[in-house]
Amino acid sequence: MKYQHSDAMEDFFASDLLRHSSITFSFKRFCGGLALPSVLCLTLLSLPMEESAAAEHRIEMAAEQLEDGVLAYRMVEHQVDKVNITSRYSKQATVPGPTIVLTEGDKVRLTIRNGISMSPDQQVSVHVHGVHYNILSDGSLKIINKIDNEGAYPDHGGHFYTYIWDVAPGTAGTWPYHDHNFETHNGAEDRGLYGAVIVNPASGTVTASNGSSISSIPVAGIRKDYVLYLSDDAFWGMEIDGATRQQTPLGANPLLSATSGDNVRFHLIAMGTYLNRFQLEGYQWVDPGTARLIGSKDIGPLENHAFTIKALGSANYMNANFSRKLMGMKGSFIVTNAVPH
Amino acid sequence: MNKIILGLKTASVKAAALALLAASLLASQTALAAVHDISLTAEILPNGQYGYKRGDKAVIPGPTLFVKQGDTVNVTVTNNTDKPAGFKVPGLSTATAAQAAPNGGTLSYTFTATRTGAYPYYGEGQQLLGLFGAVVVDSADGKAESFVDGDGAVRSIRTTDLSRQFVLFMVGSTFWATEISKTGMETPLWTNPTLGAVENEIVRFHVLSIGPGHTFHLHAHRWLEQGTTSVIDTRLMADVADSHTFTVKAGTGVGAGDWQYHCHLFSHMEAGMHGSFKVYSTKGPNKGTGNSIAGASPYGAIFGNTSNDPGLVTFVISDEPGMWFRSARSETIFSVTSSTRSLEVIPPGSSVNFIMADTNTVHTMTSLLWPSAAGNPSNGHHSNNGNDKSRGRGTAHTEHASMPFDQTRAYKGGGIVKLTTPGLYVFTCKVHPYMFGAVIVDDPDTEGLDLGDTINLATGIVNLPTSSDLATRLLRTFFIATAPNNWQKFNSPTPWKITYPSVPVRITGGAVANLSEVLTARYGNDVALTPQFSPAVPGVGEVWVDTQFEKTAGKTKPGTITVVDTSNWKVLRKIALPQINMNNPHNMWTNRDQSVVYQTQWFDNKLTLINQKTGALIKNIRVGEAPAHVMTRPDNDDITVTNNGEDGISLIPAGTTEVSQMLPTQKSGQQATNPHGHWISADGTQVVTPNIFTSDVGFYDLNSGAILERTPTGENAPGAHPIAIAMMPDSSKYYAANLLHHSVSVLDGRGTLKKTINLIADYNPIDGTIQDRDGDGQATVGILPIQLPVSPDGRSVVVANMGESIIVIDTMTDRVVKMLPCDAGCHGANFGAKKGGGYYAYVTSKFSNELIVVDTDPNNDGNLSDAMIAGRVSLVSDSSVPADDQISSLAGYGGQGVLAIPNVYNSWVKNLPGEWKEQLTAAQQDPSLRQD
Repeated sequence: MKYQHSDAMEDFFASDLLRHSSITFSFKRFCGGLALPSVLCLTLLSLPMEESAAAEHRIEMAAEQLEDGVLAYRMVEHQVDKVNITSRYSKQATVPGPTIVLTEGDKVRLTIRNGISMSPDQQVSVHVHGVHYNILSDGSLKIINKIDNEGAYPDHGGHFYTYIWDVAPGTAGTWPYHDHNFETHNGAEDRGLYGAVIVNPASGTVTASNGSSISSIPVAGIRKDYVLYLSDDAFWGMEIDGATRQQTPLGANPLLSATSGDNVRFHLIAMGTYLNRFQLEGYQWVDPGTARLIGSKDIGPLENHAFTIKALGSANYMNANFSRKLMGMKGSFIVTNAVPH
Repeated sequence: MNKIILGLKTASVKAAALALLAASLLASQTALAAVHDISLTAEILPNGQYGYKRGDKAVIPGPTLFVKQGDTVNVTVTNNTDKPAGFKVPGLSTATAAQAAPNGGTLSYTFTATRTGAYPYYGEGQQLLGLFGAVVVDSADGKAESFVDGDGAVRSIRTTDLSRQFVLFMVGSTFWATEISKTGMETPLWTNPTLGAVENEIVRFHVLSIGPGHTFHLHAHRWLEQGTTSVIDTRLMADVADSHTFTVKAGTGVGAGDWQYHCHLFSHMEAGMHGSFKVYSTKGPNKGTGNSIAGASPYGAIFGNTSNDPGLVTFVISDEPGMWFRSARSETIFSVTSSTRSLEVIPPGSSVNFIMADTNTVHTMTSLLWPSAAGNPSNGHHSNNGNDKSRGRGTAHTEHASMPFDQTRAYKGGGIVKLTTPGLYVFTCKVHPYMFGAVIVDDPDTEGLDLGDTINLATGIVNLPTSSDLATRLLRTFFIATAPNNWQKFNSPTPWKITYPSVPVRITGGAVANLSEVLTARYGNDVALTPQFSPAVPGVGEVWVDTQFEKTAGKTKPGTITVVDTSNWKVLRKIALPQINMNNPHNMWTNRDQSVVYQTQWFDNKLTLINQKTGALIKNIRVGEAPAHVMTRPDNDDITVTNNGEDGISLIPAGTTEVSQMLPTQKSGQQATNPHGHWISADGTQVVTPNIFTSDVGFYDLNSGAILERTPTGENAPGAHPIAIAMMPDSSKYYAANLLHHSVSVLDGRGTLKKTINLIADYNPIDGTIQDRDGDGQATVGILPIQLPVSPDGRSVVVANMGESIIVIDTMTDRVVKMLPCDAGCHGANFGAKKGGGYYAYVTSKFSNELIVVDTDPNNDGNLSDAMIAGRVSLVSDSSVPADDQISSLAGYGGQGVLAIPNVYNSWVKNLPGEWKEQLTAAQQDPSLRQD
């Protein structure tokens, strides 16, 4: 592989080292990837890590096959600054995959393993949007990136691939990650290999709407996060509890529940071939990056749209696309009153 | 490379404005607006596409017109094409301007650049073929879009800070690009180019789209949504026309590399809609000056156009009969092929472009066959487990993507594929599997056009010699299907003549032969057509035939319904419905009392309700993409329509005219099934669908929507293509025709596969001989089976095969008992009542203009060995026949869906009103009482 050659490494990393501390971190990827001679590995490991208040994530995920031919990611292990938080995730592979919650300034080292058995072997990868990474963490095939097939073949040979993400300032938002390598250079995102990355802003605050008023609230004040993937034939949901950070897969066209008065955050990402129109009846929310309130949003594949609202009453959400709505792409947002103490 | 000077520099700026130009460059908001006078011509490019020209060469996209906010732009268009061509800028001017006349017409247009941003300009009607470009309106104060730096800071810049700009048009499923250098030089980069930049350069992208929508994604870069502080990396480009301008610092925070840009609609990705943004390092071995690399071009190397650059041929995907893949230079090609407009020739390394510019529904651009050397099917297919069986998705790991070429979902857009291996490639649409486009990739250094040694087929057949009977038979089918001049004309006394290209071709083993001579020697030519005759015994009622290709004067879309009176076998009525431009009417059914005929428009998204007695339009309903077949539930008269372009069945409750829901034909997250010709159980509770895209038969509960069973068909062939279902009167057995597997699957009422009847068991695909090889005492062949109804009394199955035969199967044994000849493009079949007892099977053919009447049991003794053709009925009308539009061409052609009225299938027959019922025998009124 070309990048084992020191010239190439210098080309891709040396000039950046001067400016981006994240790249120092990125050198460590080689040691996990079985790609480099151990001597070189040790050399790289001895490079100093810069001190940072930001968290360091070590994540291992697996791609697996569910029944009905659906493929999905499973969280194997997630350590944040060496604290194991794996129990927050489903033990099974899920659609959407595990939601990776980060904060601007964090660093991520993510290893993908391939538990999909079929003949011939197929590669899986994690291609992420939004955050920073160099060309070796693109999660694409060599035919695209001209350097390497940046994914994992099935585990029987002990193969895996490790990506380094720099959750740099300016990357706050909700982003998709998905496979890019299964069978073709388009990958198998359409078969279930997708999930969400939430990058919370370093400022610790997000914009929220309360009816028609707009305010800034702390991220810590969000009681629930709902990840809703608009796939071609259903919304696929994942809920994250604001207090426990526990993730609960909600399945297709889920019922979303909230307590009246709570601030909840929706994370919409589209995936597939259809163009969608998201509506949450009776609610208005802030169009990201503006002070405008909207009640409907057109979302195309791999676009994202995140907003925070105060739960005021029950409502239906739907995809207003003609045939997708008829196919049942809709669900309920049920808001109940808090139980009095 | 052709260089075109930036608009700002060549526009002849009026003198008063010129004096103040210097001032305006000093960021003065109050600078006097300039007036630009721009002359463009509309031209035809070597591959038949259109383009705007200013300077020495027409280009796609057209010249980028840079102006400043407040400027006035006068554009004069001289039209040197063969179609009307104009100039409109929807984002800046709402005026619907007239078009300049073809062949030299000139017209002037004026608009004011009221808003900043990029806007598509285009010639209405020809824009998807290349008549488009961008107007870029810059702020008068010199500011450009801010970029997001690697440290997260949003940095504001001026246009003078830009190192380069790219205009990227997303059209169909192809990027068309042009680059504007810092000094304003414009260089066309054509299709899916590599866009070059040096790390940390400030690069501005103008992404524009016309036609069906997209999302634009660029790997590892982030930018601002216009007018907001929102950081994005993917942007919706809405249907019809859209634009988005943003600026990035190349590689900021991520470094150098080959960063992919692509449309993120999955089918568009599969259709080839991607390129590379190559960010060069400032030092090291990957150091570079940021040069871009142009993609395949309409001026590049294609048949008849020598060039050192990679060329591009373009197929227009059309609803027009026989021209479903129409080469954009079809007149040029037509003069060479003498028949088809759907054959192109390119040298290795050039590309094929598809654009759905003349169609109202969704399609796929799918490899039907390709040179064996161009792809290894074992490397590109889905697994064959469970219900997730499908065709290949192309090979992943080679530089030259990608046989077979295919998309998982039907879609609107187009496609682009580079072909490097010499040989024959045929593309089809999985939804409409007789849409064919062929490309010969010809090595200029060999003698004859290269068909290649062997081909692979989508059904999993590999290494089939191009000299084999099956290969040449498929070629013959292609030359008939794509050339209306080659269709069977039964209302003419002259023999049936097929014109093939008289060209030398290089086939298996390097042998060179004349294509026309080979096909004529094998299959004959100038064949006398069988004279027409009426069945001796009349039928009951009417036969409605979808003459799907018949053209009328009042419509741009093809198709009529031909109503035949079975009392005298004359055409009773022609129904074209010009008021709704009825488009490719494909299949019909009636309501209970037979007063309303339901008609699907297969190349559209509509179901049409028609008055049975008068032929008048009742209502046109949107149902879903490419609606194929329609049937009612016998128990409650609810309407069901298969959406062949999508993943479900539309339900319309009886008495209403709106779809209440779409019943999914797969679980959420599974691959779309795209069902075609369904059937409904005798009790009305169950629907059974042939799932084309997933090669299985689906059983669904109509009340609960539950998926009961998904049974794979075609013996694990990757693309068996089950297309139609039939059913025993008591729902005890179902039959499915596997179009590309040439077989009939027999399933019980619970969906268990009982048998696969191989219709080509007696056929040797190499030498073409047909002899009894399966030991059933018959020598029969049924190539490309389509419709296969079971007679209402449950005795026989009649299979219409596109390979010009009718196969009769005895349901007692589920064996083939008879083969009858059929016409070219044999397609549809349905049963109706024979007067006095028994049934006729009415069989239609796409590429003939007659209806064949089959009697499977003339003496009604239950023995089907005397099955025969009882009559041949013309579908051509004369001026005495009532019609709602004037027949203009292709009279009587396109026979597909066929329906006898009254509807005499078991269950349905029991609901008939008295006026129809009394014309039937007791046995016909209750066919479930089988009389053996």
